[in-house]
This record gives sequence, structure tokens and C-alpha cells, in this order.
Amino acid sequence: MNGAIHVENAVKTFKGDIKAVRGVSFDIAEGEFFAFLGPNGAGKSTTVQLLTTLLKPTSGKLEVAGYDVSKDPEKVRLSIGVALQETGIDPDLKGRELLEFQARLFGFTKKEAKKRADELLELVGLTEDADRLSGKYSGGMRRRLDLAMTLVHQPKILFLDEPTTGLDPANRKAIWREIKRLNKEEGTTIFLTTQYLEEADQLADRISIINKGQIVATGTPAELKRTLGLDAVVLQFDEEEDAVKAQQAVASPDYQTERVKNDITILTENGTSILADVIRKLDEQNLHPAQLNVKPPSLDDVFIQVTNEQKEGDSIE
Amino acid sequence: MNKQQGNFFSDTLVMTKRSIVTILRNPLIFIPNLAISMFFLFVYEAGLSGIANLPAFEGANYLAFILPVSIVSAAIGGAGGAGQALVKDLDNGFFSRLLLTPSSRLAIVLGPIIAGMLQLVIQAGLIICVGFFLGLEVAGGAWGVVVVLLLTLGWGLAFAGYSVGVALRAKNAQSAQAGTFIFFPLIFLSTTFVPYELIDAAWLKVAATINPVTYLFEAMRTVLIDGFTDTWPIVLGFIVIAVLCAITITFSAVSAKKAVSTD
Ligand SMILES: Nc1ncnc2c1ncn2[C@@H]1O[C@H](COP(=O)(O)OP(=O)(O)OP(=O)(O)O)[C@@H](O)[C@H]1O
Ligand SMILES: [Mg+2]
Repeated sequence: MNGAIHVENAVKTFKGDIKAVRGVSFDIAEGEFFAFLGPNGAGKSTTVQLLTTLLKPTSGKLEVAGYDVSKDPEKVRLSIGVALQETGIDPDLKGRELLEFQARLFGFTKKEAKKRADELLELVGLTEDADRLSGKYSGGMRRRLDLAMTLVHQPKILFLDEPTTGLDPANRKAIWREIKRLNKEEGTTIFLTTQYLEEADQLADRISIINKGQIVATGTPAELKRTLGLDAVVLQFDEEEDAVKAQQAVASPDYQTERVKNDITILTENGTSILADVIRKLDEQNLHPAQLNVKPPSLDDVFIQVTNEQKEGDSIE
Repeated sequence: MNKQQGNFFSDTLVMTKRSIVTILRNPLIFIPNLAISMFFLFVYEAGLSGIANLPAFEGANYLAFILPVSIVSAAIGGAGGAGQALVKDLDNGFFSRLLLTPSSRLAIVLGPIIAGMLQLVIQAGLIICVGFFLGLEVAGGAWGVVVVLLLTLGWGLAFAGYSVGVALRAKNAQSAQAGTFIFFPLIFLSTTFVPYELIDAAWLKVAATINPVTYLFEAMRTVLIDGFTDTWPIVLGFIVIAVLCAITITFSAVSAKKAVSTD
């Protein structure tokens, strides 16, 4: 088996010519933590549903755990755990009952199912609420129960579609810790989707940014920042007049400068290398910035840049 | 690693158990169903029993004649509830979770179908009890009651299978409810209130002949009124119901496959 997930030119067009996924390709290695980062309607959930046998692709080749999702959906389902964006919980069952039910369907005996349910309740911190109807749980509790149900059969590949949306910071951190542990200690391959750059940055080994059904950038968090993001050198002046002069003074064909009132921002590939040059030029004009900062790019900058570029590209078409 | 394909029978059992638990936890839904079918028996008996004096009835007891109508119409609440349960599962995302388990799609739909069928059989049992209380006489004796319950079981599976299939296609409560309207032509375009010989309109005779429910009524009435002297209508009833079950359950299992995969 080469890799956990292999996707080649996946396309999904819904009724009414809605092109949700427009030819995406990617590979995820065994044990890798991969994130799909994208805004609303980018096609993240659709991709998850294609990979987890819930939707049939319009065209393309999708393999999970070495099996073709169209030809061997049963085998795929045995290898994966899936927490969809919407939780899948029967409100008329209690937390413990749901976990035991799930375990029985994955071939556990009654006794094994009981034991597994106890372990998972402990893991997600729902032991005390195990015998209450899940319909009465809070949103966060329901998310945690949903995650526990996903983990029942110890799947070696996990799909998590926005697992922390709607959680408070403490619960979000707890879920991060747990999925990190599954990845690092148990070698679980993880495919996570998120709208939060911070989440992808914190967790993933590799990120693909998806927008309007297409992957627009892929790399490690560091690579994405390096190749796409530019450092920002920010100069602040007390007087707007000085800022105007300074902008002329530091102008160079090597980088872009922008002025907003008293602040000048210089975007460049490597902020620290131009710093000496900028200070010398300012000195020559006898200009002294009140503050001077060099900011490394955040994934936010990368994200905004990439999705903007795509917008521009679209309007030219 | 702790995973393997569960087997079909244990999956079906687990699914059925869960469906029964959810029914029992919503008594406000199933208790009115029980009440209404007994109510119909009272009303039909009180309002229509005079018809039994007509010569075509050959002195049969009208209660035995109308009892099958009460049982068959109880399916709308009992077995039909299977479809409503499915709409609920679709709405709260639980159905997707079921589809993500390795269970066969047939086991997934059989859970609510069998639970709906059991509900109908219990309703039928109660209706028969009320019938005895009103003076019902069963020519087929205890075995006659068993045969009526077996026919009810088949009808319950068939109707629940249909309602689950419709729910999976419709995907919302209103359309699923609308789908159960097929019930009205089924039950009324038949030998519902009078025997075949007394039906006047030619078109109604044709409708009653092609309506599978007619054969169900005939089979039940035969055991209730004549006992086991003529077994052909009984056998025919079982054959028609078996074919109907095969069709509707296949329809629901195929719909489960398509529920999420299409469009
Ligand atoms: N069943 C469906 N039928 C028709 N269109 C759909 C269906 N599911 C999704 N779409 C459309 O496909 C596009 C991608 O949707 P998708 O749910 O994959 O986005 P997403 O990236 O998960 O967004 P979000 O962050 O909001 O969850 C959207 O335009 C959406 O309206
Ligand atoms: Mg989504």
C-alpha cells in the first residue's frame, strides 16, 4: 500500500451544475497529519464525503487505505473513522448507549462494547453524563461524544470535518491535544478540515489551501509562509509629513511600499536583510521613525493573498 | 486492531433494538396510534353493523368482517412511523453515521422496519382483544388468530418498508407524510366495508381486484368467518403479502444506498 490517501483529479458536480470540487489531486502518507484549509463553500466537506463513501465522485480516482472508494466502499468504511461537520447523534439514546451501539456495529461483543464505551467516555470527559439522553447535551458535549463515536473502532485513518467549530477555547485545546496524541503516539493518519488558520498551523504536517473547489497552494506551514508570505517592515512616524518623505526616501525597485497616514509598510521576501539599507536611507534624510517592526508572515497573510489572487484570476477569465 | 465486519443478523438485531428503544422513549407518538385503531373498531362496529343483516353476509358477524380493516388501517400509525423515524435520523445526521458503519444497507433499513412491524402486531393484538370484548367470534379458533397476526406481520413489514423507502427519497417529514397517502386508495378502493358481490360501481370492482389489500382482507376474513375449510384465499393472501414485502423492502434498501450518494 502506497500512502493512506490518493486523490487524482477528483470532480464533484451537483445537480444544477454546481461545481463543488473542480479537479483536486493530493496524496497523504501513512501517519501524516494533513489539513484542508478553506473558506465557506470551498469544497472541504464535499471532499470529505467523497473520500468517506457518502458521495459518488462525478469523475476522478480516489483511494483510501489502498481501496478505491467507488469499487470497495465496505473496505474503506472499515479502515476509517469519520466525524462529519454536522454531528451524527440520535437524541433519544444516552451517551453510553450510542457508544455501545456503534461498537456493536463494528463487530465488538457486548462485553467488549461496554469496556470500549467506558474508555471513550473517560477519554472525552463524559463519564458523568454517560447515562443522560444525548439530546440534552450541550453543543460542546455533543461534539465530544461524536468524536468518541468516531474513535470506537480505533480507525487508522481519521477524517475530521471542522471538529472544533463551535467549541470554547478550553474544549478546542482539549480536542487538539487528543488528535495530536492519536497522530503522534498511535500513528493515525489524519485528514482535517478547518477554516481556522491557527488550527492548521498548530496541528498539521502539511496543508492544502482550497478555494472554490480547487487547491491553490500546498506545503508545510513553514513552506507556505516562506513561498507565499512576505515579511512586513513597518515604520511608524510621529508626523504624517515625515512619513511622506520617508516613503520617497526608502523607495526601491526591489520591494513594494505602502503608506497609510503615519505608517509605512514595506513588503519584502526577507525583512531583516533590507533593514540596514532602510535605516541608512532614512538617516541620510534625517528622518527618525518612532517605531520600527519586522513581522514575519502569518498563515493569515498567506491565506488572504492566495484567495485574493484567485479572485483576480477569476475576473480576468 | 479491533475492527471487523459485524454480521448481518447481529447488525439487524442491534439496529432493531435501537429503533424499539427510541419508540418507547416517545410514548406520545405511539400511544395515540394504539388508541386510534381501537377507536375505529368501535366506530365501524357501532355505525355499520346493520349491513350484516343483508343476505350477502350469510349471517356472518360484522365485527369479524370489519376487524381486518381496523388492523390494516392501524399500519398508518404503527408501521408508517418507521418512515417518520427515518426522517428524524436523516435530520439529525445519525443516518450518515449509520451509513459510515460497515453494516449492510439492508440491516440499516430493517431496524426501523421491524420495529414498525412489531408495533403494528401489538396494535393488532390489542384490536383483537377489544374485538373479543365486543363479542367477536373467530371461526378459525386460536390458530385463526395466529394466522391473522402472521398476515399482520407481513403487512407491517410491507408498509413499513414502503414508508422507509419514501422517507429516504423525500428526505423531509412533509413529503414522507404525503407518501403515506397512498394508504387511502389502498384501504378504501377495496372490499373495505362490503363484500365484493355487493360492490356496485364497475370501476371500484376493478380497483378492488388489482389492489393487494383486497387479498389481505379476504385472507383474514376467511379465517375469521369460515375458519380453515377453504384455504386458497389464505394462501393467496400470504403470497400477495410476501411479494409486496419483497418489493417494498428492496425499494427501501436501494433508497438507502442512494440517499446520500445521488445528486
Ligand atoms: N448536496 C448538495 N447539493 C448541492 N450543492 C451542494 C451540496 N453540498 C454542497 N453543495 C455546494 O457545494 C459547494 C461546496 O460545499 P462544501 O460543503 O463542500 O463547502 P465547505 O468548504 O465544507 O464549506 P463550509 O466551511 O461552509 O463547511 C457549495 O457551493 C455548496 O453550496
Ligand atoms: Mg463544510
